[in-house]
Amino acid sequence: MKIHRIKAVMRRHLYDIRHNIDRSMDVFYWPIIDVIVWGFFSFYISTNNTFGPSIINFLMGAIILWSIFYAFQRDFAVGFLEELWSRNLLNIFSTPITMWEYLTGVASISIFKIIIGSFTASLCALIFYSFNIFPHILLLIPYVLNLLFFAAAIGICITALILRYTTKVQILAWSFAGLLQPVSCVFYPLSSLPQWLQSIAWFLPTAHAFEGMRQVLTDSTFSSTYFWWALILNIFYFPISLVIFKKTFEATKIRGLLVKLT
Amino acid sequence: MVVEVKNLTKRFADFTAVDNISFSMGKGEIVGFLGPNGAGKTTTIHMLLDLITPSGGEISIFGKDFRKHREEILQQMNFASPYVSLPYRLTVFENLMVFACIYNIEHPKKRIEELLEMFEIADLQDEPAGTLSSGQNTRVGLCKSLLNKPKLLLLDEPTASLDPEISHHVREILLRIREQENTSILYTSHNMAETENICDRIVFLNHGKIIADGTPIEITKAILNEERNEPALEEVFFRVIKDTKTI
Ligand SMILES: Nc1ncnc2c1ncn2[C@@H]1O[C@H](COP(=O)(O)OP(=O)(O)O)[C@@H](O)[C@H]1O
Ligand SMILES: [Mg+2]
Repeated sequence: MKIHRIKAVMRRHLYDIRHNIDRSMDVFYWPIIDVIVWGFFSFYISTNNTFGPSIINFLMGAIILWSIFYAFQRDFAVGFLEELWSRNLLNIFSTPITMWEYLTGVASISIFKIIIGSFTASLCALIFYSFNIFPHILLLIPYVLNLLFFAAAIGICITALILRYTTKVQILAWSFAGLLQPVSCVFYPLSSLPQWLQSIAWFLPTAHAFEGMRQVLTDSTFSSTYFWWALILNIFYFPISLVIFKKTFEATKIRGLLVKLT
Repeated sequence: MVVEVKNLTKRFADFTAVDNISFSMGKGEIVGFLGPNGAGKTTTIHMLLDLITPSGGEISIFGKDFRKHREEILQQMNFASPYVSLPYRLTVFENLMVFACIYNIEHPKKRIEELLEMFEIADLQDEPAGTLSSGQNTRVGLCKSLLNKPKLLLLDEPTASLDPEISHHVREILLRIREQENTSILYTSHNMAETENICDRIVFLNHGKIIADGTPIEITKAILNEERNEPALEEVFFRVIKDTKTI
């Protein structure tokens, strides 16, 4: 891994954020809109029923953490699609850059965007709904890291699918996470799922992370069980995603598809 | 030798695009890759860039096995083709800057300005790459390909979208660079006249096979099978096509 090549990839995306309204919308627009919409909703139910005020915390925390997960997995695939759409793949991969340097560059710039985006969204939640996530941050970080870890695995797999099936499957970059959302128990406790879905949910690091998050937000305690479960699952999934990606990339070069993509 | 290719083969499923070819390139040599559409020129260039994995054979560049020393070798190579382009929202300067950083070149700004000047497109530096005409895009691609002062330059139809005057200018630049830096250049083209006047040697491909390899005059004599004083690649080209059709 050469740091200057990773930095070059970051530079490319920074320039893009500067010029491209779509990409700057990714940073601010959705995180803020989500917080505002869900904030009104949770404000409404917290004043009208029996959940009490803690519901607002659950929903605000959920929306901020989910935004982080969603953005990170999306950015891998969208970063790659940007090169594909602009027919730049051959320019990039005829340089000494490796696929891993490329992915690391894309991931770094995404983290940078996510930090700015989620900070802004958290600030909105504080200003508009007096939901203050900041005192919980230390306890939430281990879960956020697990979410990022899993998002990377998902994003890398989707990028592999795009490598293989080209723009025909590009919609997955924005939609696949939606498929995981119901089973990840983002907005409700795992116990509210039917039994058979619960057993699926246990295999998702996201489900453990959101259970852990709710515990942090309810009584400010950290459950190492949720944390370790999420981490162990990630340690299992992440290398699989790397292997899938590596194999797909190699197969792409054998079939001559990298060249056809442009 | 800068490039040594032995028994290089590429099969796509049951179709053989490049069929057991061997050739080499010396330092400072300009080699023309000629052949009809579908002959396997682009596929060969892509294999020399690790964009396509060969089905068989060996590639050695700068005396090293390409597969084992990919990064080190690609650092000293570059490539241009009018069929690729750069991220459309980034300006020409920004795009070149990104590649300058990938190659980690010193004084990138100065180098970029120098190259834009050389190709007479300095006025385009703040234009988004997406707004360029195909000829402008080609020249920006050529600037990109020279950023790292490559020792080996692969050009796939570099003048395909250029008018005769600019295309002539580009050839002059390439000849000057070869003079100054001793760059080896592999050059594909459909324009026989330009190939004749820029290339030291021609490798003639047809249906994935090398059917002749030599100076333009040697090739002319070999394929036309008669005594000639001047190279006549255009005639050679038609002869090859005609012969292929009668087979
Ligand atoms: N990825 C691929 N899959 C299948 N066939 C391919 C692929 N790439 C090239 N080919 C075929 O290989 C042959 C050689 O192509 P190419 O190297 O592009 O020719 P040239 O550049 O000499 O015109 C063509 O018949 C082309 O259709
Ligand atoms: Mg070609």
